[in-house]
Amino acid sequence: MTDVILEKVGKTYPNGYHAIPSVDLSIEEGEFIVLVGPSGCGKSTLLRMVAGLESISTGELRIRGERMNDKEPAERDIAMVFQNYALYPHMTVYNNMAYGLKNRGVPKDKIEEKVTDVAQMLGLTELLLRRPGQLSGGQRQRVAMGRAMVRDPKVFLFDEPLSNLDAKLRVQMRVEIRQLQRKLATTTLYVTHDQVEAMTLADRLVVLNKGKAEQIGTPMELYNTPATPFVAAFIGSPSMNLIEATLGDKGIELPDGLILPMEVSHAHRGAIVWGIRPEHLVVVSEQEADFALNVQAVESLGAETLIHGVVGREPMVVRLSGPHLPEINSTLWLSAPKQHWHLFDANTQQRLSL
Amino acid sequence: MTVTFPQKGLPWLLLLPQLAVTAIFFLWPAEQALEQAFYQEDAFGLSREFVGLDNFMDLFTDPLYYQSMLTTLVFSFSVAIGGMAVALLLAVMADRIIRGKLAYQTLLIWPYAVAPALAGVLWWILFDPSMGPIALWLDNIGINWNHYLDGNQAMILVVIAATWKQISYNFLFFLAGLQAVPRSLIEAAAIDGASPFKRFWTIVFPLLSPTTFFLLVVNLVYAFFETFGVIDATTKGGPGQSTTTLVYKVFDDGFVGLDLGGSAAQSVVLMGIVGLMTVIQFRYIERKVQYS
Repeated sequence: MTDVILEKVGKTYPNGYHAIPSVDLSIEEGEFIVLVGPSGCGKSTLLRMVAGLESISTGELRIRGERMNDKEPAERDIAMVFQNYALYPHMTVYNNMAYGLKNRGVPKDKIEEKVTDVAQMLGLTELLLRRPGQLSGGQRQRVAMGRAMVRDPKVFLFDEPLSNLDAKLRVQMRVEIRQLQRKLATTTLYVTHDQVEAMTLADRLVVLNKGKAEQIGTPMELYNTPATPFVAAFIGSPSMNLIEATLGDKGIELPDGLILPMEVSHAHRGAIVWGIRPEHLVVVSEQEADFALNVQAVESLGAETLIHGVVGREPMVVRLSGPHLPEINSTLWLSAPKQHWHLFDANTQQRLSL
Repeated sequence: MTVTFPQKGLPWLLLLPQLAVTAIFFLWPAEQALEQAFYQEDAFGLSREFVGLDNFMDLFTDPLYYQSMLTTLVFSFSVAIGGMAVALLLAVMADRIIRGKLAYQTLLIWPYAVAPALAGVLWWILFDPSMGPIALWLDNIGINWNHYLDGNQAMILVVIAATWKQISYNFLFFLAGLQAVPRSLIEAAAIDGASPFKRFWTIVFPLLSPTTFFLLVVNLVYAFFETFGVIDATTKGGPGQSTTTLVYKVFDDGFVGLDLGGSAAQSVVLMGIVGLMTVIQFRYIERKVQYS
């Protein structure tokens, strides 16, 4: 069943700024959707429009078939977790969680039952009488989630909830959020600028760029077949090597005269963007190589090694598993297997099939 | 950080101007008042006689003094609470408007620059029973206004005049306090189903409590000690004793009634009250409620 529908939803600010031209998205019940993009891409604005904290300028938002454009945030049956948690500092953890239920006139014993349940699920039972000021970052994060969960809302909205946590806690909370969402099966819309978070959490991802949805799909769809160079560069870490090239009769002509031979079946000729992911490049002997990489820097991470270098004048990153220690300025012979190529039309920025 | 000086003399030299000001304008008069409180002096200041605690005995057996205390309490709390309520209302509205915000805020701050006596005269004219526009308007709607005869009306007049001046100050602090409340808290409360009214009373107002408490003390101190000019310019403590606050009574008894010893004894009592308020201020305001 489709739960949340955004139909040509757009946002124009009173000063004329066109933050979001038009976004179409339909979310299935229980689905975990992540809105991802660089800062200023409109992802938080879009989330706040769903929450009712920003007005919707054009288009329509429907939750369970009901038009929500003009409904107050409280009437939309959504719950939101804010980046800074937005816990009420003068209330105990218990009252923070109970506030929304109290406002809705839920009887006292019902509130207590609900809050105790959720607190137990999140491991907050011991902390119910504390105030937010006395909690650690991770605990505050849990309280913020607890406050969202007690109301059993139709939709959870998360606005960069993990960005205030340290790296280790972030990984831990990421897993916890995913497990909780699976268990509760509540439709979720989650905003982040962190592509690792996006890939690991999402059922489907929406990559936003300048207020436009560049691509919507499962993490693997986006990884394997990015629709635009923007998505290609955004998804995956380190990001895909993208080189501006020309598609000629003999194949792909990289700058500096290097040609990657290929049978060109389709009609497209001219400026393209050629891409290959760092993990798909293979170190081979000089005879088998497609090109030579001049090594500039090596990042050894133990389990893998990132080698930064240049091919001609184009920067390129290679990712190899295990430890490697090539010398700076040495030459690494590389092969770029054709099945891992990505081609994009440089003018339309759209993906070309091989 | 601690700074250490090589010589012993330099720190004292640097402190000297402030110490001199404190000594000449605060400690010396205080000492004089303290001394005078134990003497009875004739009206011309030619002779005096040590009377021990007589001045204090007289003071604490004088029903007029207790009357004045009550007057001061009524006056001070009316000024503090009235001024804060109006200022909070204005601050909430100023926090909401988008257009002309700066002009609105600037205009609201202006009254603070008006001298107390001028503020008094302004309200004295507005409420003058025979020609004041407000008094005439009140007459029209059937309220006979004459603060020269009616003690309660005189009290209302001095409260209005004293409050009006303080609203600007309170407004500034409340506005700053309101702007410090994170927007996301209000948004979270909106999603939690709280009406704007409820959001204010359950989220914003509690978060303003450090500001509110600070202003309560500041306003009480103001109403106690800094409203002499306003009262002198409007009612001169009358009619009868109905607007004679403790501070006004010090002046009235000392410089009008020429009971210098009694006036000094009252000053000593006021010094005690100031000391008490300072302690309260330091104990509670310095470690005001902290939210993180």
